[in-house]
Amino acid sequence: MPPTDPSRERPRPGPGTSRRQSPGSAGAATAAGAVPTVAENAPTATVESVGENPVEVSLRVNGSRVRMETDPRATLLDTLRDRLALTGTKKGCDRGQCGACTVQVDGRRVLSCLTLAAALDGARVTSIEGLADGDELHPVQQAFIDHDGFQCGFCTPGQIMSAVSLVEEGRTGSDEEIREHMSGNICRCSAYPFIVDAVRSVRGKVG
Amino acid sequence: MSTPIGSDVARVDGRLKVTGAARYTADHPVDRAAAAHVVVSAIARGRVRAMHVDEARRQPGVIAVYTPLAPLPIHAVPGFGENYAPLQDREVRFRGQIIGLVVAETAEQARDAAAQVTVEYEEAPARTSLSAGLPGLPSPGMSPDGPSPDPTLLAPGVDTIDDALRASAVVVETTVEQEAQSHVAMEPHGITAVWQGDDLTVYSGSQAPQMYAMLLATRIGIPSDRVRVVSPFVGGGFGSRVPVWSEAALAAVAARELARPVRLALTREQSIVLSGHRPMMTQRVRLGADRDGTLNAVSHESAAELPAVGGWPEIPATETTGVLYRTRNLAIDQRLVTMDTPPTWAMRAPNEAPGAFALETAMDELAVALDMDPLELRLRNYTTTVPSSGQAWTSKRLDECYRIGAERFGWEDRDPVPGSRVDGDWLIGVGMASAVYPAHAEPWPVRMQLRDSGTVVVSASTPDIGTGTYTVASIVASDALGVPIERVTAELGDSALPASAPAAGSRAAGALAPAIQSTSRVLIAALLDLAVRTEGSPFRGLDPSALTYREGRVEAGADSASFAELLGMARLPAVEATTPVAEPSAAQLAAHGFGAHFCEVRVNRFTGEPRVSRFTSAFDVGRVLSARTARSQFVGAVVFGIGGALLEANPVEESGRFAAGNLGDYLVAVNADVPPIDVTWLDYSDTAFSATGARGLGELGTVGSAAAVGNAVFNATGIRVRDLPITLDKLIGRGETSALHRV
Repeated sequence: MPPTDPSRERPRPGPGTSRRQSPGSAGAATAAGAVPTVAENAPTATVESVGENPVEVSLRVNGSRVRMETDPRATLLDTLRDRLALTGTKKGCDRGQCGACTVQVDGRRVLSCLTLAAALDGARVTSIEGLADGDELHPVQQAFIDHDGFQCGFCTPGQIMSAVSLVEEGRTGSDEEIREHMSGNICRCSAYPFIVDAVRSVRGKVG
Repeated sequence: MSTPIGSDVARVDGRLKVTGAARYTADHPVDRAAAAHVVVSAIARGRVRAMHVDEARRQPGVIAVYTPLAPLPIHAVPGFGENYAPLQDREVRFRGQIIGLVVAETAEQARDAAAQVTVEYEEAPARTSLSAGLPGLPSPGMSPDGPSPDPTLLAPGVDTIDDALRASAVVVETTVEQEAQSHVAMEPHGITAVWQGDDLTVYSGSQAPQMYAMLLATRIGIPSDRVRVVSPFVGGGFGSRVPVWSEAALAAVAARELARPVRLALTREQSIVLSGHRPMMTQRVRLGADRDGTLNAVSHESAAELPAVGGWPEIPATETTGVLYRTRNLAIDQRLVTMDTPPTWAMRAPNEAPGAFALETAMDELAVALDMDPLELRLRNYTTTVPSSGQAWTSKRLDECYRIGAERFGWEDRDPVPGSRVDGDWLIGVGMASAVYPAHAEPWPVRMQLRDSGTVVVSASTPDIGTGTYTVASIVASDALGVPIERVTAELGDSALPASAPAAGSRAAGALAPAIQSTSRVLIAALLDLAVRTEGSPFRGLDPSALTYREGRVEAGADSASFAELLGMARLPAVEATTPVAEPSAAQLAAHGFGAHFCEVRVNRFTGEPRVSRFTSAFDVGRVLSARTARSQFVGAVVFGIGGALLEANPVEESGRFAAGNLGDYLVAVNADVPPIDVTWLDYSDTAFSATGARGLGELGTVGSAAAVGNAVFNATGIRVRDLPITLDKLIGRGETSALHRV
């Protein structure tokens, strides 16, 4: 048995790099290929102050490069939401228990509330805003609509980011496997059976 | 055009939700917003002797620190939610009460500075035990001026319910208990408050934006028309977003004092404490029956937590035991126990879910005592009128729900002997229960417009809290005006829109649908009037009665024009109508939704672990307006009940602290806990209820589903667990008769 999960070692294209060029609809209007800094592209919601002892990091967010100073206490979640105006990623518990903040970092799903932005220099981040290709939804996004895999919608970005990873990791062999591996994402409205339907429907179509 | 009503239409707001573009409380962009973090009490009752805030004030980025000694002016609103105002005195009324507010440039700075505040208390004894406070005082229910929530019915010659019970051939007595339960909507509570002059705009998820504006205005001492509450998307409510809680008033006043916007996000733990919970309670149900199962006497007593700071006046029996079965004698006695705990509030099926767990568990015990099929026992005591009042229903087809649900589930294969079905390590059992929930036929208005862009717009303050109101409103308007749903826009969740139904008590769809239908008729009349008055219109000068409206077009003879074309001719952007005042209904009919649950569980005979493996529910809610969102609501409600049965509890410790302050300790159902849920509905128009015939359905499935699980656990194991949640520790090593020991 390999010491690590084999699925993590499988080479695959990093999500968000091939098809998507901008941080997302809610983010800064960044031209493809540009090297923006936050100061130049700050949307109105950006918090200007970064606090004391700032750390400089470079990230690639939804395909676009972002160079910024960050408060060393700032989580990736708060950085996406408050600095980059990517508010699609949600804060449900801020301690890694609900999954609403799930994003992909370097192709792996992570809980952005437990990830410090200062530790991500050079990383590729994909959030819910980076999934669709222009007007064309990612197949998992479309499947969530088709199967009504949500109600209030607050946990949905995290559910979808987990589901995308699940499909990419090939953890969709049975409904039981889908249920088990989607259980880190709480849905208080309890759309669970419909989330399973959605993930099952895209099995084999993406990833 | 075939009617979209009841069809399987995708959510109209789906795209916004799957792309992250839907804006919830903390997602609205606001310039220069300062961040606020609350400081909370670490004792349950007493006084703040001193607060040391100098260190917090010195922290980088800190703008202001407010305490009871340096307060913000806020008023209490007695009688709804909390009855006290934060920071107005030094009293500590519950553990976790807000006793300070730190405002800083960033959220990190505010949070860290708040942690630097130290507090000295004078501690007083706190009432944190429900049992120590029994028997409590009678609950007034939600309308203290209305009829008693404790209906009584005694047959001629019977003096007391105890006499009736003594005279019954078979008697069962069931006492059930449950800890506090927490709503834990996925979106923690928060607010962003923005002042422009004397006008306050609030971004906050609310189940009732109009009421929020009114209550917040009262708390901060300004006219309610100065407050606008913007709530287009709400990350779950379940009751917790009906009141306006303390942090909202603090953020609003701090923003005014500081002359800049303030954004306040409660942590998950703060949200669990400060935003209401389902009260802890104990209930006793006694049933007396003839040998053939006919009920002779039904007694339901309850005692629930009522915090001294205010909360929900729990009445679990009124709309369950008070309506569900025919009986010769009925007595209900519901009490409240004053406690020094955080405020309670309605949580999905607030009275009915706990009440039905008690009643439907007792009914199962009676069936066992009678050696009778639990389904047959319910049919034996089926009632077509409300037992205590004799009122008839607008419609009741619960008997069909029993039949259809039993058939789909395969109830006839049930083995009544506990522990008789085994599959490897798993004991299999089945159980059933009834569901009932009141329906409200209240007239609430909407505003509708036909726009020159060819679009229909429906506007109401009612928010969509995930229940599908955007979709339902669009479907009904599309049907009423014969316009494709893609050309209908629903504007919801804003107190600046016409004051309409709150998203509470399963009333939004049932109220909005008839309003949209009647308003559409007014709108069409206004359009026809415009058509005959407008210069250049082919219909100019005709009598409006000579015109017909069909699928977005006005027609007369060979002439035809769309409403967009007519508006263009009239050079008007829109024609508008609001809901006409409805004639009050003369009929004094009761209105409820009904349902029947059938559940299969598997209990591990070595570990006692209970798992729900199958679930079927059949519902009678009158007309279903949107099949897809209705199905999701039914399934979600059933899962809410499964979670309540097997997982959810937030015990209050002796110190007044909630044992579960986060989603790792407060367990709700996750995906792996939920099997496919089979739901169905009768789907017919309850025309005695409303013109649309739709009764509302969001909470119904939560009623009785926990009892169905518990009854299935009994059938699997022979162990009757009466205290929720039904956890494995209650199933392992209990009772000599347990099938767990017959390995």
